[in-house]
Amino acid sequence: MELQMVHRFLESSAATRPDKVALVHDGERVTYRQLNRSASRLAGFLVQRGVLPGDRIAILLSNGVKYVASYYGVLKAGAVAVPLNVETGQATLGRLLDELQPAGIILEQGAGHLLQQLHQAPPSVRFLVAVDASFTRSEPRLVWGWEEALMAEELTEGTGRLSPEALASIIYTSGSTGKPKGVMLSHRNIVSNTRSITQYLCLTENDIQMVVLPFFYVMGKSLLNTHISVGGTVVINNNFAYTASVIRQMAEEGVTGFSGVPSTYAYLLHRSPLASFRDRLPSLRYCTQAGGHMPREIKERLLQVLPPHTKLFIMYGATEAAARLTYVEPERLQEKLGSIGRAIPGVTVRVLDAQGEELSDGECGELVASGPNIMIGYWNDPEATARVLDGNGYHTGDLGYRDADGYLYVTGRKDHLLKVGGHRIDPQEIEEVLMSSGSLLEVVVLGLDDPLLGKKLVALAVPLGGNPSDRTLLSFCHARLPRHKVPGEIRLVAALPKYPSGKIDRSSCLSLCG
Amino acid sequence: MNLKDEIRNFVVENFLFGDAGGLTDDSSFIREGIVDSTGILQLVAYLQERYQVAVADEELIPENLDSVQRVADFVEGKRSGAPCAGSEG
Repeated sequence: MELQMVHRFLESSAATRPDKVALVHDGERVTYRQLNRSASRLAGFLVQRGVLPGDRIAILLSNGVKYVASYYGVLKAGAVAVPLNVETGQATLGRLLDELQPAGIILEQGAGHLLQQLHQAPPSVRFLVAVDASFTRSEPRLVWGWEEALMAEELTEGTGRLSPEALASIIYTSGSTGKPKGVMLSHRNIVSNTRSITQYLCLTENDIQMVVLPFFYVMGKSLLNTHISVGGTVVINNNFAYTASVIRQMAEEGVTGFSGVPSTYAYLLHRSPLASFRDRLPSLRYCTQAGGHMPREIKERLLQVLPPHTKLFIMYGATEAAARLTYVEPERLQEKLGSIGRAIPGVTVRVLDAQGEELSDGECGELVASGPNIMIGYWNDPEATARVLDGNGYHTGDLGYRDADGYLYVTGRKDHLLKVGGHRIDPQEIEEVLMSSGSLLEVVVLGLDDPLLGKKLVALAVPLGGNPSDRTLLSFCHARLPRHKVPGEIRLVAALPKYPSGKIDRSSCLSLCG
Repeated sequence: MNLKDEIRNFVVENFLFGDAGGLTDDSSFIREGIVDSTGILQLVAYLQERYQVAVADEELIPENLDSVQRVADFVEGKRSGAPCAGSEG
């Protein structure tokens, strides 16, 4: 029977390639046998603590071997893995824990404020595993060390019978449109999406993936599962800010795949030795990009700078889709440079109007997706679930159209549309024009309240160097956009606020504007 | 003010909003969540402008830039012409 549970990826690879290196992190090399054993022991520990199928276990760890062992260990125990950003502020964390009512929390020192605030944890929390803290044993026993937890006996594989429909993970969206929502993904959701991705990327056990994106972000999770499922190797580097260390390690480890969001590539192009390493990355088979629209100018430069044998996959997805929905085949990228491609195997993406009717080629509507990867719903939020899931599938909130060849294009987000004067304006188009000036690292176009226009367009732009004047940029826009789409103001700033995934945080940008 | 104090001040003012609490000379900017990738670019731009040193792409590694002490040593090395980590390209 085909493997149907997420943790079976690890178990199956450990059975067939026990001595293969699964993870590389900070000089540590961990084999599949070692990783699977740690995960099974953690699962054994969780069951000893009384964890039951469906119980939530919050994971507050940065990318590393312990994160991966925890993730698969929680799944092996039949529990629900809830990875959270280690840097979540205390107030938000308190709120998330309240709504999750987790049975336990696995955390590292960075999330140590939680250890000091134990009395604020919800009563559902029966234990904490502090992976790197030294602490004095207290009674009643609440806090356990990592080594202690791993002294438990391994949970026998196949213990307990879970349905593939069972909840596997809750992943929080970045909250770009209101408060973060907990996306409930079943084993089936994750397994089916993992299979589709391995298929179109042609992943094999020879693949070695460099991971700079956090595992708590859905794309990071997907990189992990796809490579563990094929018995490949995941190289974890948490130092992306030091781009030279990442590029150098890619060369040293013979990395075959690299993945990023638009800002990842903007940085690599702007300030990294990527171009000078062109001849030193003979194994780099492909790069993938998802996590939002990447300006055409960056795609073109990337194609020039990457080694000639490296394919670039432009992809599109959503947390609600267990990561992936569409991709552009690298062979057609030049021809379809502005496109997000076509649906991945097993998934359907249609363009629907407000009444749910499918639109013809070229007509603009909402992208609606269906398939085995679409989430169960939002945790504890049936109203928000009902707003995006219906008989037609998952309403992405992205607006776009399909061309005559079946390729999809995103023109913007429903909730980013700005009403300026009598016009509905999508900021993405203006951002694209500003980026094509070639003088910016990144830009965001926002609508500020305006008594006359409703909203006034303001661009926050990070210059690449030198200092392009706002007047030059405005006249660049004037030459390419109708008057009502030209920002009223362009403010040059040193940096744009971002989420840990690297995506631009529009609401924080808006607060920057005062 | 010496070089290290200036660098510390830059980090405190730009990334810690004036609150230096807990920042030591050896605090890792990245591991301790003090500076993100955008911040490293700002820091490098500052070093280039303030101390008139050139920072090559190959030198963007934690050994050169991941704490107040490392940045100070890196800039000192640049000024004295000593080879820096990563500079062989």
